[in-house]
Amino acid sequence: MLKSLLRDLRAHKARLAMTLVAIVLGVTATVAAWVVSDSVAATLAAREQRSGVAAVVRSPGNQPELTAADRDRLSRLPGVARADGVLIARAGLVGRNGKLVKAETVPDFAGTNWVGADRFRIKDGKAPSRRGEVALSADAAKKAHVKVGDTVTVLLANGRSDRAAVTAVFDYRNLGPTVDADTQTPADRVPSVAYDDATARSLLGGAFHRVELTARPGAAPKTIAAAARAAVPSDRAVGTGAQLAAASERQADKEAGDLRLTMLPFAAVTLLVGMFVIANTFGMLIEQRRRRYALLRAVGAKRRQVRFSLIVEATVLGLIGGTLGAGLGAALGPLLLGLMRTGEDLHYVVSPTAILLGYAVAVVVSVLAAYGSARRAAAVPPVAALRVDGTIPRETKRTRVVLGTGAIVLGAVLVLVTAAPSVSNQARIVGMAGAVLATVGVLLLAPLIAEAVLNPVARLVAGRGAALRMGVRNAARDPHRTAGTAAAITIGLGLVCAFATLSATFTALVGSTTRANTPPGTVALRSAAGGESTLTPAEMSTVGSLPGVTAVAGGRDMIVKLRHSGGETQRKISAIEPAALRTVLSPKMTKGVPDLTQGAVISRNQADMLGLGLGDRFTLLPGRGGPIETRVVGVYDATELQASLFIDVARIPAPLRQSVTTIYATGPDPRAVRQTIDRAFANRPDVEVTDRDGLARQGLDEQRIAFTLMYAMFGVAIVVAVFGVVNTLVLSVMERTREIGVVRAVGARRSLIRSTIAVESIVICLFGAVLGVLVGVAVGAVLQHVALGQRLWDITVPVGTIALAIGGLSLVGIVAALWPARRAARTDVLVAIAAE
Amino acid sequence: MTQENAAVRASGLTKRYGSGDAAVTALDGVDVAFEKREFTAIMGPSGSGKSTLMHCVAGLDKPDGGEVWIGGTKLSGLSDDQLTDLRREKVGFLFQAYNLLPTLTALENITLPFDLAGRRPDQKVIDRIVDALGLRQRLHHRPTELSGGQQQRVACARALVTEPEVVIADEPTGALDSGSSAELLRRLKRSVDELGETVVMVTHEPSAAAYADRVLFLADGRIVDEMAEPTADSVLDRMKALEKVGR
Repeated sequence: MLKSLLRDLRAHKARLAMTLVAIVLGVTATVAAWVVSDSVAATLAAREQRSGVAAVVRSPGNQPELTAADRDRLSRLPGVARADGVLIARAGLVGRNGKLVKAETVPDFAGTNWVGADRFRIKDGKAPSRRGEVALSADAAKKAHVKVGDTVTVLLANGRSDRAAVTAVFDYRNLGPTVDADTQTPADRVPSVAYDDATARSLLGGAFHRVELTARPGAAPKTIAAAARAAVPSDRAVGTGAQLAAASERQADKEAGDLRLTMLPFAAVTLLVGMFVIANTFGMLIEQRRRRYALLRAVGAKRRQVRFSLIVEATVLGLIGGTLGAGLGAALGPLLLGLMRTGEDLHYVVSPTAILLGYAVAVVVSVLAAYGSARRAAAVPPVAALRVDGTIPRETKRTRVVLGTGAIVLGAVLVLVTAAPSVSNQARIVGMAGAVLATVGVLLLAPLIAEAVLNPVARLVAGRGAALRMGVRNAARDPHRTAGTAAAITIGLGLVCAFATLSATFTALVGSTTRANTPPGTVALRSAAGGESTLTPAEMSTVGSLPGVTAVAGGRDMIVKLRHSGGETQRKISAIEPAALRTVLSPKMTKGVPDLTQGAVISRNQADMLGLGLGDRFTLLPGRGGPIETRVVGVYDATELQASLFIDVARIPAPLRQSVTTIYATGPDPRAVRQTIDRAFANRPDVEVTDRDGLARQGLDEQRIAFTLMYAMFGVAIVVAVFGVVNTLVLSVMERTREIGVVRAVGARRSLIRSTIAVESIVICLFGAVLGVLVGVAVGAVLQHVALGQRLWDITVPVGTIALAIGGLSLVGIVAALWPARRAARTDVLVAIAAE
Repeated sequence: MTQENAAVRASGLTKRYGSGDAAVTALDGVDVAFEKREFTAIMGPSGSGKSTLMHCVAGLDKPDGGEVWIGGTKLSGLSDDQLTDLRREKVGFLFQAYNLLPTLTALENITLPFDLAGRRPDQKVIDRIVDALGLRQRLHHRPTELSGGQQQRVACARALVTEPEVVIADEPTGALDSGSSAELLRRLKRSVDELGETVVMVTHEPSAAAYADRVLFLADGRIVDEMAEPTADSVLDRMKALEKVGR
């Protein structure tokens, strides 16, 4: 059995190659995703952590409130060898081009003082020691294109700036995570700029962000932490070095996990489609080998043995594909890493898990895909060997109709039941599953649809040229074959259309909401550093004092916990002056009034999701200060991607008012206001002056990662679609050598065979494409509902992209048909008709 | 045997397969002519070159040496397209394994050659042939819905429908039971006698050969004998004699 099997594998090299490519693609994606996330995790874990610090005392919030007296008191605690007061303040490095350098850490937290036990490792130069000297992180120096000896400009808080000579380039050694893990675990962001202690205290401010305590030999960190806790007010957070190290590790794990989560869907998509291709290939394989199985059965092979032989075949293919895929994936890893995290030194790790996973996926997927075919092969009756003709019993039409219709109906019900924008995440996943289920149903019904659609078309072209007539008829008469081939295109184009619909809706949404809720005359100011960086009230008062400016407001965006009758969740809110909603912003109210002095104004979409109505009460819990009780006084139109809940800025604790995300300003003559503001901030590279359209663009920029992800999915979908089209067309022609031989013998010229196959391919491609567009846009509607919390029908159909995709795939279909058509035309008549 | 009256004629046909020591001579200078309105059977032991002769005469295979004429047309020097057109217009085929297209109905299979040529078939000719082969009730069935005998009769109708110079039949009864075989052969013979067709049939069954007007015996790539007005018994005797000589 095994020998005949291996011989068989060798005999069908082309089919072997097709199946292998399908497996290899999927495995490569999986292994590459794993390698990338492992490498990132390893890189994060390998980030140098300081171990010398026993405990850290931290100011509340992110506001520096620890004084030199606090530090000195802490330094006198038993067991403490030294106490270092660490300053964290605003400092933006200006690059050679006069623009703000976008370093790893936003300017808000990028300045510090050159103190601490082993915080800095000098790569080049010497530590700064007096005013006029500064040290830069390696990252910042590289991005600013400066080196030791150069003079740089550093932008400080309140619009001040400093010129200093670079004396050192350093590597920073972290203590704890680089982002705030929770209120008890301070972030130790990598500073871009470090001054000597005295200069720092005069330039950056006198109060410390935190005090780091180093223990004397033999002193227990826990004891020191306990003593420190007793020595400072209760709102100062105290943690040991070990706790921080653990938090840092958790952060690394979480980042790697998140990355894995974003990458694995690609692998899943390729694998799913890979499975489809493998299943298709095996399906054709057993059609061709029907007689051989019948013969085996006739000479005494049991059903189980036939089935087993196919499973072994799939396993062998899986192992070969797994080896190639794992190798390719491991090789592709560094490339992907380079693309995703440019300019970072990354550790490249290929773990045994990644390789094993690749193999497991390859074998499991191949066997699963081949299992249906194996069962069918085993069902071949021995008598089939004795008959020249006769087909394998397929599942009956009725089962197909019942299953397909059932899947569509059930899927549609699932989608509709979960269609409300306010549904929970679980319900959204159920809705998505419904969409997938309905798609499967459509694929099941595809042969029947093909029959229903193509037969009339065949009648329509009955009087035309021989190639057209025969090509269409071929496609119409074997709906199973047509649907099987078209399914690859349907899936591919469906994926493309679904993601195109999602991204088009997303784009339209982000821009339109900003445009709808901001008057055209409003000037907006934001930090040029992007990310979580902010401006300060200082810039607000500068704007307010400019001539012609009559209204100024500062939106303070922040993530808070929101407690409502339905539970507790995290939300991005914006605290702003109440007057803003009538001057610099113009929310399109659907209910209530835009009066923040009375309560909160919330977007319709948020209100739907949280189940909040006009007058409903809820509580906000910002990081600092007590809970804020408020109620809904107004509802407006917006998307969930933006801060979509406004409250009065007076309600939030004073320290939180210091970080202004966006400053809005307007006046009787908006153009003059814009010019005045532009002039006033001409020498402030850290401030970006823009308007409504600029904000809309920035909104899109902020979602760049989401877009990149969508476009990457797009890419995978297209690769898969193209591959599926080529594969199935080639196979469907190979399957028909004998038929083509007969037609040749009876008198069809080579050119006729070529054009007939080409017509058939185009018909199949178009059928698959139309089905794919319909399915894709429908799934896209569900996808945007699931991802963006929109209503199902609030979609933007990307007509251009879809037209391009149909055109492109049809072209691919034609090109993909050329090779098999040539091959078919060259068919040796004698060999073809003699083939048994 | 008047050469002018021949539907198909071949002279000095030679065909070798392989090279060197492994070379096999399938045809060794065969001269043969099949006259119009004649039913010829070709017999011979396995490996005698029957099928090769068939393929060369039908323009499916190219001989290494010699010449073939179908009607008045010399085959050598024709391009693939010209050869294809010739096959379509002047040669009808019947294969052992019916070789019908599964996606087409019986009628569509029968009119396939016209389809390929882009011509309208002559309805009268079709009616005559369909009735002669007793397929009237089966015209709209797919091949899978037909019995083996019926399928072969459809293939037979397809071979006859272009009113070709010659119908080439390669073991047409090989896959049929004796009843279906007899019926097919009777109808083939009638197409020669009544419709004026020319049929050349390769077979290894003496009972099938008995339907022919003439039997040619092939051995080692040469025509070694010929028999007119054959019966199953006389053919069987001759075959046995040939096989003894072969040993």
